[in-house]
Amino acid sequence: MAVDRREAALPVAAPTTTTTEPAAGAAIRQSNLWQDAWRRYMRNKAAVASAVIFVIICLYCLLIPGFWKIPGIWTSLKDYDPNAVDFSQSYAGFSLDHPFSTDKFGRDLFARVAQGGQISIAIGFAATFAILVIGVLYGSLSGFVGGRLDNGMMRFLDALYGLPYLPFAIITTQILSPSGAVSVWTMVVALTIASWFTTARVVRGQVITLKENDYVRAAKAVGARWYRILARHLLPNTLGILVIAVFLELPGVVLGEAFLSFIGLGINPPTASWGSIAQDGREAYRLHPEVLFIPCLAIATLVLCANFIADGLRDALDPRTRETG
Amino acid sequence: MALLEVNDLKTHFFTREGVVQAVDGISFSVEKGKTLGIVGESGCGKSVTALSIMGLIPKPPAKIVGGEVLFDGRDLTTLSEGAMQEVRGNQVAMIFQDPMTSLNPTLKIGTQITETIRAHKDVSKGEARKRAIELLDEVGIPKAAERIDDYPHRFSGGMRQRVMIAIALSCSPRLLIADEPTTALDVTIQAQILDLLDALRQEHDMAMILITHDMGVVAEVCDDIAIMYAGQIVEQADAFELFDHPEHPYTEALLGALPQLEGDEREIRESRLTAIPGRPPDLVNPPEACRFAARCPYSGSNDSCTTVEPQLREIRPGHLVRTAHPTSERSGERETVNA
Amino acid sequence: MSAETASTDGALLSVTDLEKHFPIRKGVLWEKTVGAVKAVDGVSFDVVEGETLGLVGESGSGKSTTGYCILQLTKPTSGSIRFIGKELTTLGREDLRKMRREMQIIFQDPYASLDPRMTVGSIVAEPLEVHGIGTRRSRTETVRRLLEIVGFDPNFTNRYPHEFSGGQRQRIGVARALALNPKLIVCDEPVSALDVSIQAQILNLLKDLQRDFGLTYLFISHDLAVVRTMSDRIAVMNQGKLVEVGTADQVYQEPKDEYTKALFAAVPVPDPHRQRERKAERARIRLESPSGSGNGSVA
Repeated sequence: MAVDRREAALPVAAPTTTTTEPAAGAAIRQSNLWQDAWRRYMRNKAAVASAVIFVIICLYCLLIPGFWKIPGIWTSLKDYDPNAVDFSQSYAGFSLDHPFSTDKFGRDLFARVAQGGQISIAIGFAATFAILVIGVLYGSLSGFVGGRLDNGMMRFLDALYGLPYLPFAIITTQILSPSGAVSVWTMVVALTIASWFTTARVVRGQVITLKENDYVRAAKAVGARWYRILARHLLPNTLGILVIAVFLELPGVVLGEAFLSFIGLGINPPTASWGSIAQDGREAYRLHPEVLFIPCLAIATLVLCANFIADGLRDALDPRTRETG
Repeated sequence: MALLEVNDLKTHFFTREGVVQAVDGISFSVEKGKTLGIVGESGCGKSVTALSIMGLIPKPPAKIVGGEVLFDGRDLTTLSEGAMQEVRGNQVAMIFQDPMTSLNPTLKIGTQITETIRAHKDVSKGEARKRAIELLDEVGIPKAAERIDDYPHRFSGGMRQRVMIAIALSCSPRLLIADEPTTALDVTIQAQILDLLDALRQEHDMAMILITHDMGVVAEVCDDIAIMYAGQIVEQADAFELFDHPEHPYTEALLGALPQLEGDEREIRESRLTAIPGRPPDLVNPPEACRFAARCPYSGSNDSCTTVEPQLREIRPGHLVRTAHPTSERSGERETVNA
Repeated sequence: MSAETASTDGALLSVTDLEKHFPIRKGVLWEKTVGAVKAVDGVSFDVVEGETLGLVGESGSGKSTTGYCILQLTKPTSGSIRFIGKELTTLGREDLRKMRREMQIIFQDPYASLDPRMTVGSIVAEPLEVHGIGTRRSRTETVRRLLEIVGFDPNFTNRYPHEFSGGQRQRIGVARALALNPKLIVCDEPVSALDVSIQAQILNLLKDLQRDFGLTYLFISHDLAVVRTMSDRIAVMNQGKLVEVGTADQVYQEPKDEYTKALFAAVPVPDPHRQRERKAERARIRLESPSGSGNGSVA
């Protein structure tokens, strides 16, 4: 039985009768899973509008703060300098020169909110990405191995759920920056540590469900090793869940950062983040509410859009609405 | 007069991908006390037919676009939802395929039976409960008086189907429609349920429509059989006549595709089953002519099969068939190979 | 119980006293094992090279679990499984991996047995990749030939499973099972999810392949007629135990076990002339047997 069959993988006998068997015929429908999902997503008006607004906000944050450096684009734009302090312009009110008014120091808010957005959204995506990585590693290990390890890992997770989110994040920032100056990276780490649990649990659930599928058994029957099964069969099939998870975690992180900065335990002025700008606005909100209101509106809009996008993605990728045969 | 008469029923599904002509002009009748079997493979429209009779098709996207369903002379397709609710459960009852999902898991089975009774008959709770226990007994649930207060999860698949039958019978309907009632059950349980249905039908003088894909099941239980393919009835006859003299090429092929249970070992082992090449047609754009032509071994390139839609005609008394090449007219015809 | 216990030394597969227990765990914080469900309870049979052994039983009989134990997809609780002279239950991981090339499986559900994110070509090529057989180009060629053999158009290797019907997907599954040129293929209800006319196509295909490539099948099914048409010998299982084994003729025409008799009497036969006598047969069996029916209870 020690014949090395490496070269003779295919049975040698030439089949003689299979040609009389009716050929299976053409594919019954030609479509791409992603195309189908795209089409379904496009049908959801709220989701499409949210995606557009989301992109607009990101572009706004990305482009506006740098515009004043580019000569000749639009003469007024050169005034949108988030850092140009000009006390004569303090609380100037809405005008073409300052579409979002100015703050206490006369800094233009249109540019400042954009710059703050860079920080807030960057923290949001960075933390979300970190949450995904940790969540996938933890969840897929737990779900894939199962048994006592899974039990233990999940009980540990349950214990962590008991910790209150914001205090936990605050404590982490204080531990990481005892000097009191909270950097962007500290925020990212703190928010990640405080909120990776849900994603881990979701990924674990998905892996456990997928593990039961016959195609996983088929891979085992063929002799595939565990890392191949995980990498080629399980994780690609969790992509849908992960994409949705991104847009579900993002709002939480952005709000978390905003709140912490607002109460002074996060990003502090003069560094702009939406939360810190709002903190600035607290002082004079009775007389000049726009300074508080505008960054909050930005946060709320982003969060709302992310939620609608997540909803739209969930409907688009829902396996139940795919063909069942 | 027949108890149920369906004339030229057409039910279409209006979907984004087009109009699916799921049921496209079928007619049949069911006499009091008899069983009609509707046989076909998946997608042929048999379940949609049953749901159309009961008025249970999902109103968007489906719609009965033509024909009539005469129950005791009344056209059910013209009734309002309120009037239909009067008929459902009371005059016409239905049991479904999956006993696991047809019962409400949060209600005791006693409640599910009595609620049906009290929806149609003016009786007290006590009387309804008494009747429920009688019914459970009749369908063969042991210790009915105790089990009436159990929840569905305490019953096995076969028992749950018996409970479903009890619910269906609770108001003594004149017609029972059973949609694949035993497909999800083991074969020994299937036999019990089918024998039970037959016995109950005789005792209550009920008519029954049995929908299934299993030719063996219709042979054992049905008086008359209709074969459906691609939304149309392609053959209809009484059970003995159909099995002894199948006329439609599809019926022949179906019978030939069945693996034999009895016979000589060597023969069975060596034999090849009749395989029908290809797939049923797309019901969004069904063929203008014979819907089976593309897969039929007898359709030639120069006959009417691809140009004219064959009509249902009586080839023998009581035996209808929709084809240009029925078996009895086919002596000496050569099979043409259809890829 | 009439079991054929002759154990041929030349058998390709030899299963002896196979048992698989699933523990019943209760408890909220600490789970304690309070008992076990004996899915497979002492099963022994042999399969000779080139033959088809049909394993028949209703749901809960343990037939699929037996198949998975043989393939070592589930670890048996106890018992011996000798395949091509090697004891599978004590084999090391790498050796077992090599043995897997000789035993493959075709699954029941054509919708769940193919990874929806992989193309048809990659699905069929996977066994070859896993064992490092050939180069990418030679594998592509092999995949094309395999698909042709099973009657699937080889030009569709870049399509995804969801674009095909149940019967077509099952053909892909068959191609995958053939890829490593195994000696034994466990067919786990391969046609149960298909329409009758498609069933016939796949059964004919399996018969052809057996003849052309000298395959040995363990054919698991609940459908007695399907098992009859495919099998040389038949083993009947009930609640984890093997209740009867014999040649197809023996088992079907002269069943010795009560459960087997009840099982055959219950199968609906497509012949209305026989219905009255079969109903009487079932009634007689019900009266004779105290438990009332196959699974030991009125269900």
